[in-house]
Amino acid sequence: MSESTATGITAIAQHTSGVEIVLDRVVKVYPGQQAPAVQDFSMTVAPGELVMFVGPSGCGKTTTMKMINRIIEPSSGSISIGGRDVLSLDPNELRRHIGYVIQQIGLFPHMTIAENIATVPKLLGWSKPRIAERVDELLETVQLDPGTFASRYPKQLSGGQQQRVGVARALAADPPVMLMDEPFGATDPITREKLQAEFLRLQESIGKTIIFVTHDFDEAIRLGDRIAVLSDRSRIEQFDTPANILAEPANDYVASFIGHGAALKRLALVPVEEATLGAAVGTSGAPTIEFAGNLRDALDVLVLTGLPAVDVVDEQGRAVGSLSVDRISAVLGAELPGRTAGSRAGAR
Amino acid sequence: MNALDLDGLLTFWGRRWDDILELVLQHLAVVALSLLIATVVGVLIGILVWNRPVPRSLTIAAAGVALTIPSLALLALITPVFGLGWTPTVLSLVFYSLLPIVRNTVVGLREVSPAIMESAKGMGMSPAKILFAVQLPMAWPIILTGVRVAAQLTIGIAAIAAYVAGPGLGQFIFQGLSSLGSKNALNFALTGTLGVVLLALVVDGAFVLISRSTTSRGLRV
Amino acid sequence: MTVTTETQAIGATRVAEAPARPRFFTWRRFTTPIVVVVVLALLLLWVSTLQLDSIEQRTLNWSYITLRVGEHLSLTVVASALVAVLAIPTGILLAKTRSATVRNVILAIANIGQATPAVGVVILLAILWQTGYTTALVALVVYAFLPVLRNTMIGIQQVDANVRESARGMGMTPNQVLTRIEVPLAVPVILAGLRTALVFCVGVATIATFINAGGLGDMIVNGLKLQRYPVLVVGAVLVACIALLIDWIAGFAEDLLKPKGI
Ligand SMILES: Nc1ncnc2c1ncn2[C@@H]1O[C@H](COP(=O)(O)OP(=O)(O)OP(=O)(O)O)[C@@H](O)[C@H]1O
Ligand SMILES: [Mg+2]
Repeated sequence: MSESTATGITAIAQHTSGVEIVLDRVVKVYPGQQAPAVQDFSMTVAPGELVMFVGPSGCGKTTTMKMINRIIEPSSGSISIGGRDVLSLDPNELRRHIGYVIQQIGLFPHMTIAENIATVPKLLGWSKPRIAERVDELLETVQLDPGTFASRYPKQLSGGQQQRVGVARALAADPPVMLMDEPFGATDPITREKLQAEFLRLQESIGKTIIFVTHDFDEAIRLGDRIAVLSDRSRIEQFDTPANILAEPANDYVASFIGHGAALKRLALVPVEEATLGAAVGTSGAPTIEFAGNLRDALDVLVLTGLPAVDVVDEQGRAVGSLSVDRISAVLGAELPGRTAGSRAGAR
Repeated sequence: MNALDLDGLLTFWGRRWDDILELVLQHLAVVALSLLIATVVGVLIGILVWNRPVPRSLTIAAAGVALTIPSLALLALITPVFGLGWTPTVLSLVFYSLLPIVRNTVVGLREVSPAIMESAKGMGMSPAKILFAVQLPMAWPIILTGVRVAAQLTIGIAAIAAYVAGPGLGQFIFQGLSSLGSKNALNFALTGTLGVVLLALVVDGAFVLISRSTTSRGLRV
Repeated sequence: MTVTTETQAIGATRVAEAPARPRFFTWRRFTTPIVVVVVLALLLLWVSTLQLDSIEQRTLNWSYITLRVGEHLSLTVVASALVAVLAIPTGILLAKTRSATVRNVILAIANIGQATPAVGVVILLAILWQTGYTTALVALVVYAFLPVLRNTMIGIQQVDANVRESARGMGMTPNQVLTRIEVPLAVPVILAGLRTALVFCVGVATIATFINAGGLGDMIVNGLKLQRYPVLVVGAVLVACIALLIDWIAGFAEDLLKPKGI
């Protein structure tokens, strides 16, 4: 048994970029409760994919996520990571290879920032110099100056800085999988936006398989490759790309979750290149929009200037065409589900 | 060596019922009197120092240090001046009660949020009015907790005060000691000790009731 | 219950009083030993001006006093050490017990124990068993056991559930969570319990004289009985000074030993 466990762990641990996660008919019934908190949950998360769980409070997002690293044991069903059945592995070994960020951060108050980040590498028996190097590297990754912050204690950091340390700590042993439960929950909108942007940049380079829980739909649109909209008992109402969910909500429940302004949210996801451009107008002095921008920015310019059309310029500043309100609307009308899958580029 | 004889104990209680009751009442009286004095004095001290950083930390530090002095030492020290009996007992009980009461008064008064203080000021209340109409009522549950802690403390210390001829159940405990070897030694000591324990528990329960009935409804959790 | 509220009150004061950057060596830190030295010097001065009669001479001499101080300290320190060794592991075990009933029963017993008068315990033990040093030691241990036990349990249980969960989530075994996270975080509370126990012991050791276990209580009681106030005063002042010093040392140790960052 121990041998199979060991190979199972190694199979997961070998990876530093994402592996596949499969949940199959997973059920959780808390002791003493009639209704399950999670009922028949099945989902496959592709390697390197960032999946967002959104849903109202109490719908079972956290419970579903915590079953993956067995902080909560499933009542039935199976979960596998990189093809290995999670339930057959030693839970402690397993967790050392899954990055885990909880909503309340949970930094260890009696340890310095450096010691906090070094926790898992130490458990894995890394050498001292390797750990020290890794800690510095991670602090820089999350934009905290190692010289300033490494020897501080958590209480000497602001909320946003603590969140970053929480993320750094989860990344410490370069796990292939990350579970993040509202990691940016306790921050103000500005800090939150900054953390999100940093996080996206980070994910582009590390390519982990990430499950990210939030109840902020805009955050889900901004970050996710795919979004799972959940309702009570962790029922999947829709599981698709942000663009597709915005374009075609599966039902009223999803639509109500998107809220007002779905069209505008969609425009933010569509790059200018998706539109059919008209001829350049060439009005001198008028604002222009970059080719790499998104349609929402273009609309913004149109509304602000009151002009019938705005020029689109390429990287060298040459006008390559123009956009009008009609042309922008045409994109939304013509856009077919799936065509713009994964085009998050415009979100930034 | 002296084993417990239940029948003997019951007979003992039956025969000495009057004595026991009187000692319980004495014990209660001396504790109540001391707490009353300590509460008045302690809350006054608290009111005087809570808003002055230096006197405040001095008072609290001094009170904390005072609490570490063994009670027998204090009782003995004051007998040359105050003689034996009620006086040294009440004095030392007041002494030990002051710490929890002063400290909790200060904490309670300081805990009233600046927003509440400011809105009281904004309504034109004078500092004295704010103190009596806003701060003290809000601090009351915490002050009362201090009194409750003091009560537990003094019920135990009063037992030792019997050594300087203080009133209460301690007299039975020391009678047990002085009749060491005799049949009734255990009965005396056990009755005294159990009496103190019961008294402490009952008084603690009473404080829960008092605190419930004297705390503003809005402050109850 | 009571005590939780009280510690909260203490906590609140301490937080409020804490300076922005706590310095270790301040004047205030050394007030206690300075006061103690001054008091002892005054005591010595006063005694040296007295005409001592023969009874007083028998007790107010260095060898008698050092003997009593030695007895007193030995009772206090041995009892506290025993309590630390016995009560902390028991408290950790109890805190980790799954059964809430067991924990609540123990806490209830601890609360009743708190209400038991120390003289009662000491004298009952002497009547039921024997008089002397060992009995006093047992009484002290019994009496000081509960605060340390309770503080250990509370200290471990009050560890933030999120901190515990993130430790588990990082793959620590239950034992690693206990030794690396829970116990270090409980240290301040455990130390506060030990400090209480030490001060308790100094006080209860004074009562040990009633059951012929020596200590400075001897001087107090003899002084009272024989109407020799200088003897009484010296005994009482000495024991008070010891209590102050021990509390001071314990406070010092507390500040040294508690993990930074809390
Ligand atoms: N330890 C537990 N014991 C019993 N029931 C629980 C436990 N944890 C959660 N639940 C219940 O399970 C359901 C799902 O809870 P969960 O924490 O997964 O919700 P959530 O979607 O993460 O909510 P939130 O957005 O508020 O964090 C809730 O009804 C909750 O009351
Ligand atoms: Mg949750």
